[in-house]
Amino acid sequence: MDYVVAILLPQLLHGLVFGAALGLLALGLTVIFGLLGVMNFAHGELYMLGAYAGIAVVGVTHSFWAALVVAPIAVGAIGAVTEVATLRPLYRREPLYGLILTFGLALVFREGARQIWGGDMRRILPPFTGSTPLLGMTYPNYRLFLLVASSLLLLAIWLFFTKTRAGVLVRAAVQDAEMLDGLGVNVPRVFTLTFAGSAALAALAGLLLAPIFTVYPQMGVEMILLAFIVVILGGMGSMGGSVAAAFVIGLAQSLLTLWMNPQRVAIAIFAIMIVVLIVRPRGFFGREGVLE
Amino acid sequence: MSRALSWRAVVVWALLAVLPALPFMSKFYLLLAFDALLFGAIAMSLDLLIGYTGLVSFGHAAFFGLGAYASAVLLERGVVSLWACLLFAVLVVGLYALVVGYFSTARRGIYFALLTLIFAEVVYTFFRYTQTFGGSDGIQGLPPPRLVGGFAIDTPMRNYYLVLVYLGLAYIACRVLVTSHFGKVLVAIRENEDRARFLGYNVQRYKMAVCMISALLTGLGGALYPGRSAFATPDLMLWTVSGEFIIMVMIGGLGTLAGPVVGGAFFVLLQEKVSSYVDWYFIVIGLVLIFIVLFMPKGLLGIRELLGGRRWRATA
Repeated sequence: MDYVVAILLPQLLHGLVFGAALGLLALGLTVIFGLLGVMNFAHGELYMLGAYAGIAVVGVTHSFWAALVVAPIAVGAIGAVTEVATLRPLYRREPLYGLILTFGLALVFREGARQIWGGDMRRILPPFTGSTPLLGMTYPNYRLFLLVASSLLLLAIWLFFTKTRAGVLVRAAVQDAEMLDGLGVNVPRVFTLTFAGSAALAALAGLLLAPIFTVYPQMGVEMILLAFIVVILGGMGSMGGSVAAAFVIGLAQSLLTLWMNPQRVAIAIFAIMIVVLIVRPRGFFGREGVLE
Repeated sequence: MSRALSWRAVVVWALLAVLPALPFMSKFYLLLAFDALLFGAIAMSLDLLIGYTGLVSFGHAAFFGLGAYASAVLLERGVVSLWACLLFAVLVVGLYALVVGYFSTARRGIYFALLTLIFAEVVYTFFRYTQTFGGSDGIQGLPPPRLVGGFAIDTPMRNYYLVLVYLGLAYIACRVLVTSHFGKVLVAIRENEDRARFLGYNVQRYKMAVCMISALLTGLGGALYPGRSAFATPDLMLWTVSGEFIIMVMIGGLGTLAGPVVGGAFFVLLQEKVSSYVDWYFIVIGLVLIFIVLFMPKGLLGIRELLGGRRWRATA
């Protein structure tokens, strides 16, 4: 029982916390994939930019909450400009070009961040400290806040996609952009705004995780691989699948560290992904026959 | 083969052969030329997959790195024969490529790309954290390999000629391959995989074969690397390196063989040139890549087409 309370339970919560944030990151990635057919290699850099934008805002206003509002808007704006300037001309070209393009964008963003903020590891202080007694143990307040905030956001996104006209338009664009165009909807605008939204979500994930992790220009490189794994596990283009897979990966990662060193955990997660790709490439909830 | 023996090709090869004799070629420039030709050859091997077969491998850094480690491990233990190193690299890379190829070629498009990427990450993670192979420091301070007897490849010039021979042989191999019936089937698979299958070709076997060839050529290139640098580190197989290989192919022009060689060399020289002036050269490289994707999707060799030169077809 001591083992459960002292070791298993905290790891379980860590897994949920990380999974929720990973879900925010993967959700944007999977929507963009469904929309443009492009795996956005720059998504990890948008995540990184979110954390740095947060540091910048905190530096000026000394308020984490202000950063939480300003950073996603700023990165979303960067995303919108990027989409219009670089991805829009590629709509009708092979997805390969989009993939390579986002790889180039990632290089520019990463190096740009290093030039502006330097290559050192940085931290953001959590907006509040202390911990709360919970089920016989104590758990840091900030992580609880992170879990609740991310979960509420995921819920809000779900409501957006199911209950609002804008959300339905995005889903329609994922299904069949050409038909939507035929119905008189300004599809490029839908694409641009969705890309901006996806960038803002990535930035939010980066900023929310920053007080737990460290901030450095390469931080997106490793996260993006995990996010890819999540998107594939969930089924490419399936939003619910991505969120479910994010929690699975978050939990798997934090629980496996109880028995393995981090290197083996990384390999185990890769192995899960390889097996899924071989056995069931459409993932948990992907539609049959799509891109297999 | 006629094009490989055209007067233009003869001039290019002759220039490459006398390059070290030119007065401004210092040791530094010779090593730079080594890198340019080595990565040119690797980009060319990758072009077999991306340009001809339509398979985007995001894991070629693992083939390169495994080749480098194979020869580094032997050199470290006092086996200094170049031939032993090459043979061992072929064995190691071949075995790994067999596994990756078998599972990856069963999938298409983005799934192929991601499978190769994840397999490569497994290899990277393994070497990064295994102390037997030096962990994150890799294997350092290696002796130069020997060609025969006591003839060591220990000067930049000898390294340069070695890599030139490798590039030449690899080029001939690739050229023969893409002009053969086998190469035509690869292009057919790229254009319409289902139709190629309905015509009775065992598509997966072809994909598997071209994967193996591309991987082995890349692995052999990797095996030459410790001779030049005296080290092998896990950073050689980071997934961003695989991305750089793809950039080289794209810069040069998909499906042209000669293009990616130019692309690889251009990439190496650009990186060197820009980084000697500013330390933000990755921004320049990223911007060059974005520019090429947007405005010249046929790569550097595509310029010839724009200028009204002879048409370079993707299909050899």
